[in-house]
Amino acid sequence: MKKNRGKLVFILITVLVSLYFLYPTYKDYQLSKEARSLTGDDSTKFVESHDKEIRDAKAKRIKLGLDLQGGMRVVLEVNVLKFLDELAKNKDDQFHQIFAEVSEEAKASELDLVDLLKVKFEAKQVRMSRYYGLIRDTDDEVVTKLKTESTTAIDRSVEIVRNRVDQYGVSEPSIQKQGNRRVIVELPGVSKEAEVRQLLQGTALLEFKLVIDPEIASKVYQSIDRTLAGKPLEDTSKADTAKTDTTGNMASNDTTGDQNLTEEQAKKQHPFFYLAGTSSQQQNWSGELFSAEENKAKVMAILTRPDIQRLIPSDMGFVWSAKPGITAEGKKFFTLIPVKKTAELTGGVITNAKSTIDPVYNSPIVEMTMNDEGAKNWARITGSNIGKHVAVIMDNACYSFPRVQEKIPGGQSRITGMENIEEANLLSIVLRAGALPAPVDIIQQTSVGPSLGEDSIRQGVLSSLLALGLTILFMIFYYKTGGTMADIALLLNTLFVLGVLAAFQGTLTLPGIAGLILTIAIAVDANVLIYERIREESVTGKSLTAAIDAGYTRAFTVIFDSHLTAIISGIILYQFGSGPVQGFALTLMIGLISSIYSSVIISRVIIDILTERGTHVSFG
Amino acid sequence: MGKRKTWYLVSAAVISLSILATFTKGFHYGIDFLGGTELIVEFSAPPDIGKIRTMMDQAGYSRSEIKQYGTASRVLIRTEHQEEGTVVGDKIKASLNQTFPDLHPTVLSTQKIGPKVGAELRRNALLAVLTSLIAMGLYVAFRFEFIYGLGALVALFHDVIVALGFVCLFDGMTSFMNFEVDQNMIAAFLTIVGLSMNDTVVILDRIRENRKIYRSMGLAELINKSLNETLSRTIITSGTVLLITVILFLFGGEVNRGFAFALTIGIITGTYSSIYIASAIALDYINRKQSKKSANVASAGKPRYETVQ
Repeated sequence: MKKNRGKLVFILITVLVSLYFLYPTYKDYQLSKEARSLTGDDSTKFVESHDKEIRDAKAKRIKLGLDLQGGMRVVLEVNVLKFLDELAKNKDDQFHQIFAEVSEEAKASELDLVDLLKVKFEAKQVRMSRYYGLIRDTDDEVVTKLKTESTTAIDRSVEIVRNRVDQYGVSEPSIQKQGNRRVIVELPGVSKEAEVRQLLQGTALLEFKLVIDPEIASKVYQSIDRTLAGKPLEDTSKADTAKTDTTGNMASNDTTGDQNLTEEQAKKQHPFFYLAGTSSQQQNWSGELFSAEENKAKVMAILTRPDIQRLIPSDMGFVWSAKPGITAEGKKFFTLIPVKKTAELTGGVITNAKSTIDPVYNSPIVEMTMNDEGAKNWARITGSNIGKHVAVIMDNACYSFPRVQEKIPGGQSRITGMENIEEANLLSIVLRAGALPAPVDIIQQTSVGPSLGEDSIRQGVLSSLLALGLTILFMIFYYKTGGTMADIALLLNTLFVLGVLAAFQGTLTLPGIAGLILTIAIAVDANVLIYERIREESVTGKSLTAAIDAGYTRAFTVIFDSHLTAIISGIILYQFGSGPVQGFALTLMIGLISSIYSSVIISRVIIDILTERGTHVSFG
Repeated sequence: MGKRKTWYLVSAAVISLSILATFTKGFHYGIDFLGGTELIVEFSAPPDIGKIRTMMDQAGYSRSEIKQYGTASRVLIRTEHQEEGTVVGDKIKASLNQTFPDLHPTVLSTQKIGPKVGAELRRNALLAVLTSLIAMGLYVAFRFEFIYGLGALVALFHDVIVALGFVCLFDGMTSFMNFEVDQNMIAAFLTIVGLSMNDTVVILDRIRENRKIYRSMGLAELINKSLNETLSRTIITSGTVLLITVILFLFGGEVNRGFAFALTIGIITGTYSSIYIASAIALDYINRKQSKKSANVASAGKPRYETVQ
């Protein structure tokens, strides 16, 4: 008994420790059950009074994988290509060509993008410093600079994503960097896919740009229109060439002074205005154009043509409205606003953003405050542009272009034009957390609804219990008393695996439950090995105690070897797998290790105690 | 060991069947490896699959896969098409709402996997299987003797190929049996490798022990003896594991079904491959080596070793 006392105590300790770690899971289950059975006021009161308990339990219980509790898992990849593209300055045709080649090759190549860029530049014998870094930088210096910048950008992106997710308010989110370009975001219990996507992907680049003077804009439009129609470029300012209905009939405009041109003729004579109408006749026209939804692409194609580009002043750019408007007939149209290419102010100066409802117009707005330097600049900009319009642009989409009424000294500004308060909310979160330095793509997304998760849990638990039950019965039937001992060890084994999972906050997935079941099988195997051995030994005439001794000793090496091979399998699987499969590998490995412990030590101790007491332990 | 030839033939037949099945019928990649978008949709009543297919075609996603998922009112829709972000999934959802307004389609889960990711997961899976096979082989070669490592490796290859073959063969036979090669399936293969190794190790251990005890016994006889001694253990263990995997197959849910099926087949082949193949190959190899040696020596009139039967 003495030699076993130590072991017994140890076993007891491990059992208690496991129970301790599993208690929160049980508590959480109880609390949620109670909370669900109450309704209305009772329920809220219950949650409030037990708030701390509930939160503690939730924090320490076994983490359920997304396939069991529902939620979203998104893998983001930083688009280094776009990042490098945006970093470059003085981009010209040569640059675009080289970059196009790089984009093509990047799809197939495993090379670091910066290296690939260097190779391409070298092939064309162009110095990288023409577009990146300082003039005197050698190619290698530029490469180092670019690489450092991309790594910093990636790290900052991870941080910003983390910030955004934190602010979004998900319980137990998980954000991890993977490799050197990816971020894995897991949001349990979240189902609003579109919102999450917007939250994660929006670069949140906020820009304030001055709207170009309507007169200048008008001249540019006319010259574009004439070029497209094949007419000469002189400024025959027939003031009525730009007449149109403002709100109605966007797609079929009467754009000429002669009100009775047919559609075909209008299209031929004023091809540009046919696609993008103006309301220049109206007094408060600020230079914008209106285009039906289906014509957007065509208009952009025109504006980016090299011959048309020559007609547009170098500091003039265009930006589309973020939201479409709806005509009286229900057609959607977008507004195209001519703005100065360089932003007067960017989102970096925003210190706070709050979403709220404007009391006057009863519409959702985001109110922003700036830092000191931003406020100073903003005061200057507003002060010197009174009467002009400033476009508020987010991620290259214009939300509004209000008129500057007066100088704004306090660094306040606002974004209007959102559809609902949720959108305003998202915008404010994204502004607060900061702009993503580099654009991110969603390369993988999984979203599981809660009902599917519940089904999975039910099936998992059912099959585990069934498997456990049958195994236990079999062991008792075939190995009699020895079998019962093994069964106790088996149950404790399952307890240990769950306890370890809870203690280390590992995640239980549906394949993980399969792994648990498999562990039962393997634990049984260990016991079978031992008992068969014992049977063999007793047949050779040894006493029971001696046989038991021999059985355990001899079997140990085998158990160890065989379990080890399975553990190696598990490690490899954990390394190469992802998501739920890793959960399987984890539970398998934990199960294997604890099965060595439970089958060799626990059942042995129990059997020893029994034999010493004189109980005849039979092994079938 | 006596009936080795027969068992070689049986194995050869089974392997050929498996390889045939794999290459002709082929298997379905799960979405993990394929890339694309997959939705699981629940309707309030069983929908007309043909109608769904037409809808998908009209949306521009021809060659989509549509099958029943679990209950008759649940459908799995999958397409390989890739578009920005989750555009595909959104479009499908919108179409579903339009086409089946009275059946209240609810999306239970969606998955979108970009093309690069799919290719990566495939590569990782292959690496995983190869690495584990090699690792096992090395481990056995290290703990026992090199030749046993080789025998074990052959047995493992055999197991994986047969399991894969059967998965291909039975895939789609009934709506209950939808087996895809996805990450879970790879997990199953690796588990088979691990468990089969388990069996093999037990037998090899016994052989090693007996070699120490019965030094004068001929190898074939020795192996036979070891096999017989471990037989009851092997049968019982495999039996229990088999029972458990069958439970998993029947009650474990759609996600685990392919996994459980592969495991079941794997256990069966694993058991007999450990018994008949691993040791048989080792035996033949050793005998051949020895008969070569004794052929060189035969001219000197030395007696030959045990001949193979």
